Amino acid sequence: MNASAVPGPRRGSVEGTAGLHSLVGNAAVTYPDRLAVAGPDGCIRYRELDRAADAMARTLADAGVRRLDRVVIWAHKTVATVIAMQAVLRLGAVYVPVDGSMPGTRVAVIVRDCGARAVCAPADAGTVLRALMDPGVAYVGLALISGADGPRYSASVRPDDPAYILYTSGSSGAPKGVCISHRNALAFVGWAVEVLGLTPDDRLSNHASFGFDLSVLDLYGAFWVGASVHLIRAELAYAPAELVELIYREEMTCWYSVPSVLLLMMRGGLLDQPAPVRLRVVVFAGEPFAIVHVRALAGWAGARLFNFYGPTETNVCTYHEVLPGDLHRDRPAPIGRPACGDRVWALRPDGAVAGPGEEGELVVEGPTVMLGYWGGPPRRGAYRTGDLVRVLPDGSFDYVGRRDHQVKVRGQRIELGEVEAVLASHPGVAHVAVVVRGEGIDSRLEAFVVYRGGRQPGVVALKRHSARQLPPYMIVDGIHPIDTLPLNGNGKVDRAALLDLCCGADGRA
Amino acid sequence: MVEQDIKAQLITFIRDRILAGDPGRELDEATPLLEWGVLNSLSIALLLNFIRDDLRVVVPLEKVNAQNFRDVRCIAALVHASMPGDGGTALSSPRGRLAGIEGTVS
Repeated sequence: MNASAVPGPRRGSVEGTAGLHSLVGNAAVTYPDRLAVAGPDGCIRYRELDRAADAMARTLADAGVRRLDRVVIWAHKTVATVIAMQAVLRLGAVYVPVDGSMPGTRVAVIVRDCGARAVCAPADAGTVLRALMDPGVAYVGLALISGADGPRYSASVRPDDPAYILYTSGSSGAPKGVCISHRNALAFVGWAVEVLGLTPDDRLSNHASFGFDLSVLDLYGAFWVGASVHLIRAELAYAPAELVELIYREEMTCWYSVPSVLLLMMRGGLLDQPAPVRLRVVVFAGEPFAIVHVRALAGWAGARLFNFYGPTETNVCTYHEVLPGDLHRDRPAPIGRPACGDRVWALRPDGAVAGPGEEGELVVEGPTVMLGYWGGPPRRGAYRTGDLVRVLPDGSFDYVGRRDHQVKVRGQRIELGEVEAVLASHPGVAHVAVVVRGEGIDSRLEAFVVYRGGRQPGVVALKRHSARQLPPYMIVDGIHPIDTLPLNGNGKVDRAALLDLCCGADGRA
Repeated sequence: MVEQDIKAQLITFIRDRILAGDPGRELDEATPLLEWGVLNSLSIALLLNFIRDDLRVVVPLEKVNAQNFRDVRCIAALVHASMPGDGGTALSSPRGRLAGIEGTVS
């Protein structure tokens, strides 16, 4: 496959003034009448997407958005949302995607933290936002607009200019913004296009919300080659059988999601029918995928299976294509070898580089590693992931676990400290510790609460309290009252003991 | 089955199977189930199985969305609307039955 089916920046580099926004423009020239995006609010071809992005860029420019300004886009996944993202890039500004399910108070925190110049959101969000934002922040209504002949926008950007900021759960109690440059994004997308063999005839699924970095491949992988991307409504997570049907109906050729979603579909009947003929690539990322499920998927589909690994801070830095030999393992699929031109190694506790058979913390250096956290110092040197890995005989890596309290719940990254900080802010809570029970799709957040005395808030009250500041996926599933939190020999909360209490509990909240 | 009965059964199910009893009896028919994280993708699948197996009603897949599952009131209205006119036995969904979902919620 020719990775440069649509003229775009060379893999791993940003040529001249081309940035992430050049991809749609290039596709509009080469494939103007091909489908670009299909979403809940309609479909749009590349020529129309190109013009609509310019029209929206003009609207944003009139609202005062300038180069390097941040624009928060608070919306569910729609074609209009994609147009807004492209429009921001065309002004040389930085988009900050925030899923429509986020509570307004959390959006306001993000708006303040990144110093947003404007917020783009649907009309019905305007009232909520205006009550929460500083008056100096512009509000721009999100709408599916069509572009007529008007000014063209294509800002000149430097490779290390920020393109977007993705906010992730923060251990200190507030979300933190991972700042990704045009170079970072293009290095990843260009590599992925080649490895997956994407062509203009591909139809890529987009399951992840735009606030999660899995969506970067879905959108920009399609734009790079002039393929189409099909936005999947978040609500389909509640109806896995509907999700299965969509793969067939939309004739998806490339699927990319966390393993929990794949497992949800497998439980929803995915394997009960013949595999879709056109599905040729399935990529999973974000959490370990038990080999028994990988085996089932491999046995069902003739598609190539890939495991992509990497925190938001590096996007994908290692990868592994599942081979027949992997299916006899007793561990999840490996996270594999370096990707995207990154240099990757495992650091032992003594500071030496781990060799075959040894474990260490995965460290990454290279073109996909973030600029830094918004508001923090520019990143210097290699990025330490906090993930523990084992070095395999061939020099590739197996994921072992985390060094800290960052967890994945149904594929979503959560800092337990942030969940605990929100619960602890309830007046009825004196102390709290949160643990994760179970794995993957069956994982649950369980909170152990020492009450302050007086009226003790129950599980619904604490969920309501959490919902004011946290997205739904970060709200705890169960509440366990406890007299005192157990401590280990280091004086820290003994989370292993709490987990034992969980598993021995009779299910009482 | 009248809508009030459906609400009562839904509340009992959610309390017992998802909220571990809800000893404080905080759940009511207007509690925002998705927004407050009471329901997620996995627990909705359990709820749909309950609606199918115990209430004998199959909810059309295209009706499973955030609006219809916003709270018990909305779910009850959906279930009631999905029943045949005489409120009797369940209809089969024209799209087929939902696959069984294993797993328990403590």
